[in-house]
Amino acid sequence: MSYSSKSPWLIHYDGSSCNGCDIEVLDSMMPLYDIERFGIINTGNPKHADIFLITGAINHQNVNVVKHIYDQMLEPKVVVACGICACTGGVFKDAYNVIGGADKAIPVDVYAPGCAVRPETIIDAVLKAVKILDEKAAKMGASEKNR
Amino acid sequence: MGIIAFLVAVPLIAAALLMLFRTDQQRNVITIAAAGATGLASVVFAVQYLFAGYTVFALPQEVSYITTWILTAIDIVLCAVILWSAVRYGNRTALVLGIIQTLGVVWFANMTLPEGAEHMLENPVYLDQLSVIMVLIVGLVGSAICVYALGYMKDFQHHEPEGAPDRRHFFSALMFLFLSAMFLIVLSDNLEWMFTGWEITTVCSFLMIGYTRTPEAIKNSFRQINLNMIGGLAFLGALIIVHLTTLPLSLGALIAATHSMASPIFILPVMLLSVAGLTKAAQMPFHSWLLGAMVAPTPTSALLHSSTMVKAGVFLLVKLAPAYQVYPVASAMVVAIGGITFVLCSFMAITQSNAKRVLAYSTIANLGLIAACSGVGTSEAVWAAIFLIIFHTVSKSVLFLCVGTVEHRIGSRNIEDMDGLFSRLPHLTRFMMLGIMGMFVAPFGMLVSKWATLVSFAETGNVLFLILLAFGSAATFFFWAKWLGKLAGVAQKAENVEGGVHKSEWFSIGFISCLLVGCCVLLPVISQTVVGPYLAGVYGETPQLIGVDNMIIMVAIVVFIAIVLLTPWGRATKKRRVEVYLGGQCTEPDSRRFHGSMGRTMTSTKRNWYMEDVFPEGTLTRVGLIICISVLLMAFAACFIFDFGFLAGGSFMVDREVLLVGPDLLGILIGTVCFAIAAPVAGLLLDGLDRKVSAHMQGRVGPKILQPYYDVRKLFTKEPASVNAVDEAYVTCALIFAIIAGGLFVSGSNLLMCVFLVTLATLFMIIAAYSCRSPYADTGADRECLQVMSYEPMLMIMTVGFFTATQSFDIARLFQLDMPIVTSLLPIFLGLMFVLTIKLRKSPFDLSYSHHAHQEIVKGITTEFSGRTLALVEIMHWCESVLFLMWVGMFFIWDNPISIVVAIVAALAAWFFEVTIDNNFARMKWQNCLGGAWLVALVVGVVNLFYVLITPFI
Repeated sequence: MSYSSKSPWLIHYDGSSCNGCDIEVLDSMMPLYDIERFGIINTGNPKHADIFLITGAINHQNVNVVKHIYDQMLEPKVVVACGICACTGGVFKDAYNVIGGADKAIPVDVYAPGCAVRPETIIDAVLKAVKILDEKAAKMGASEKNR
Repeated sequence: MGIIAFLVAVPLIAAALLMLFRTDQQRNVITIAAAGATGLASVVFAVQYLFAGYTVFALPQEVSYITTWILTAIDIVLCAVILWSAVRYGNRTALVLGIIQTLGVVWFANMTLPEGAEHMLENPVYLDQLSVIMVLIVGLVGSAICVYALGYMKDFQHHEPEGAPDRRHFFSALMFLFLSAMFLIVLSDNLEWMFTGWEITTVCSFLMIGYTRTPEAIKNSFRQINLNMIGGLAFLGALIIVHLTTLPLSLGALIAATHSMASPIFILPVMLLSVAGLTKAAQMPFHSWLLGAMVAPTPTSALLHSSTMVKAGVFLLVKLAPAYQVYPVASAMVVAIGGITFVLCSFMAITQSNAKRVLAYSTIANLGLIAACSGVGTSEAVWAAIFLIIFHTVSKSVLFLCVGTVEHRIGSRNIEDMDGLFSRLPHLTRFMMLGIMGMFVAPFGMLVSKWATLVSFAETGNVLFLILLAFGSAATFFFWAKWLGKLAGVAQKAENVEGGVHKSEWFSIGFISCLLVGCCVLLPVISQTVVGPYLAGVYGETPQLIGVDNMIIMVAIVVFIAIVLLTPWGRATKKRRVEVYLGGQCTEPDSRRFHGSMGRTMTSTKRNWYMEDVFPEGTLTRVGLIICISVLLMAFAACFIFDFGFLAGGSFMVDREVLLVGPDLLGILIGTVCFAIAAPVAGLLLDGLDRKVSAHMQGRVGPKILQPYYDVRKLFTKEPASVNAVDEAYVTCALIFAIIAGGLFVSGSNLLMCVFLVTLATLFMIIAAYSCRSPYADTGADRECLQVMSYEPMLMIMTVGFFTATQSFDIARLFQLDMPIVTSLLPIFLGLMFVLTIKLRKSPFDLSYSHHAHQEIVKGITTEFSGRTLALVEIMHWCESVLFLMWVGMFFIWDNPISIVVAIVAALAAWFFEVTIDNNFARMKWQNCLGGAWLVALVVGVVNLFYVLITPFI
């Protein structure tokens, strides 16, 4: 039995978003949606987190920061790109300073499109991410046994 | 007798030889040989006499007479030295005091010497267990410091400006002279001889402080001699009065006389001797000489402030302790000055960033505690005083020596510069950490002695000083813990600069550290075989303050901590290393550089927390001086105002017995196992319920009840990675200590020990956080220290209240009561409820870390913990929450089995109350936390303790 899916802790990072998606992310943490039902906690600390929520596109300023936060998270970990900008770069895709979606910096596991992304989509994406988290945990456990 | 002469003579000869042979090589040989001989002689002496008890040595009266002549001559020579220096440096105060002293000495000699040999004491030399302990302290620690000075002074001379004269031979000679004088003080019964020793130490330290002859050194050395001459004059005054009353000039005879019919005559000599003792022990208002003495080379500080000079002062006070039971005014004076000095100097130590000044203030504070204990004068208090002397000596000398060596390695004695010393000077820092822990945490001897102090104050019903002790101890925790944190920081890449430390320095530091651990381990033995018999000899009773089983547990924990600190045990070297969290992109973790916004590289800096605005040094000093001078004056005035019936009317304190009803070792072990199994389960359910209830209060459904369990299980499966190799070891220790604390509680053992161990567990959490050197974790740890400082007084007051209500510190006693203690301790119960908010990490006081989603310092103290380490922190939090709720429950227990149900209901009600508060309050500023908790503790402490302690007499 895996416990990863029962206690997914989040860290939220705002790339270069217009803040629309950020407000929706915070919205999903409100009592109305009550994501703590699923054991989800917003930790704000990569060392405690299992799920990395990114909003906004990746640009030259933040690409290393995103990589750094990802590095500091402990395995097993998953990345959820929230909103169309984090998925592909969105309307800013062709801007001179934008590199693209979150997957230009780090491996992304779940894409949650939308402009802005709806709270229901976010919750759905996180719950999908949780399943991937379980798979990764199982893989980790197996490789540990083989070692 | 031969060995005593040997002890006094060897350092004297060494001093003379050192003045003659001045090359490095010769000095090394002489110093090591003399220190070895002195150390060995003191050990032989101890083996011979440690268990002998009170022994006197007869000396032919002619020999005595000649010795007195010689010593008087020395007195006059000392006066000449003072006068000469006063004239040379133009210090008028010293000149005036010196002239008075010279006249006094000559006048006194004129009175006593012409009486001839037949008036000399028959037994001028004596010893008892206390003297033997002092001889061991001086002989072992003092000699070790002399050896240390060899290497240290080499570096010191090296750092001196070009062309500075090499006067190291003089310095070493002074140190040995000092040892000799100390032996004279602790072994003579003849007050005249003791006075000579007293004056030698004064003048020696004057010369040592002024060693560098810089203007600052000269100024401070004169401050020292002026203040100490006041003490010397008081001593001389006492001698003259004793002589005029035709009592023989013997310390033993004086103390015996205070218990005779003629006791009222001797109040003045006892008061004067107390003043002399207080001056030497650097108590307010005379404390500034010790602070000034810090300009001297470090061996001076180590010698003066840990093992010799100041210990002579408290030695005299401890010797006078039986007399304080006769004279309430003298007792009140010493206790008041000691207690106030303790609390104010502990506060002031918080504001200091200079390591030596922190040590100086803590020395003064601890001496204040020793003085207060001797002032109380009961056998329990003297027990505490003697152990404070022993443990203060060993811990403080390790610290002074380490700070001295560190200063030469890193070129600074500022605590800020000691950041990351754990990696730069790995061995030295570990010794230093051991020394610091020795100063303030259970189970090290210093805290055991503080415990005994608390018990003896509680026994005598000394409410005001209990309160002072509670607040002073809390401040002590704060300033030591933050320093410890600075040291504990582990840099990932650091250059080891330990290479240049001299062998002699290693030897001394290692030797005294061994003494420190040895004393802690042997504490029960020393108590049973040395201090116990001494008190039996003086008071006719041996105090039973602390159960032997508790002492054994403490010894085990000391050994455990020494292993954790000094060996590589528990170092997770295989874990993946991650960089500290800096909120963005970390470019260089050791210097905390990160890539910030706008493309700039920034450095995060973090200073220790000094709180100068809360504890302003200048104001506190003034307050202390005013209070202590008034106390002195009022005490002397009282001697002339009140009639003898009152002045010699005996102590008006009540003596209570501590009942020891706790379980034996097996019981405690069973309790610990039970707690280790049951508490995490209960704690996890409570935590789950907490989240569920909170969710409902916010109109949500919330997680499952078992959610905390899932969280912890998940954390255990995460990849092992951490910022450094040690944090998990520290956190594991913290968990173990928390479980032992809970085990002590459920097995019905000592409540005070339980509180101390909880503090110890918190300390290890704090060290773990500091070891990461992350700005967020550091801030969290600082706040955790603040929280401990905030709630500690209340917990101390709670335990004392527990004692006053039950006559015991053992939880098992609750089941023998007719009424639950809440009936008499309601204010204290409310105070506990107040600090429970801090302890349970609930708003409005969840400063250091909380379970809430957002926190302005990321995750506070736990920021850098991850995976398994974080899981251990969670489990510890469960255990602690259960323990704290049991503290609430204990207020409702009496000798009826139903009371357990009542207690559980009460604890759950308290828990629900805390959850409600948590959901309805925002977090407050730290000022409110500290101020609120202290105010509550002060008010409920004073009100409740006075009520409980006074009512029996109404």
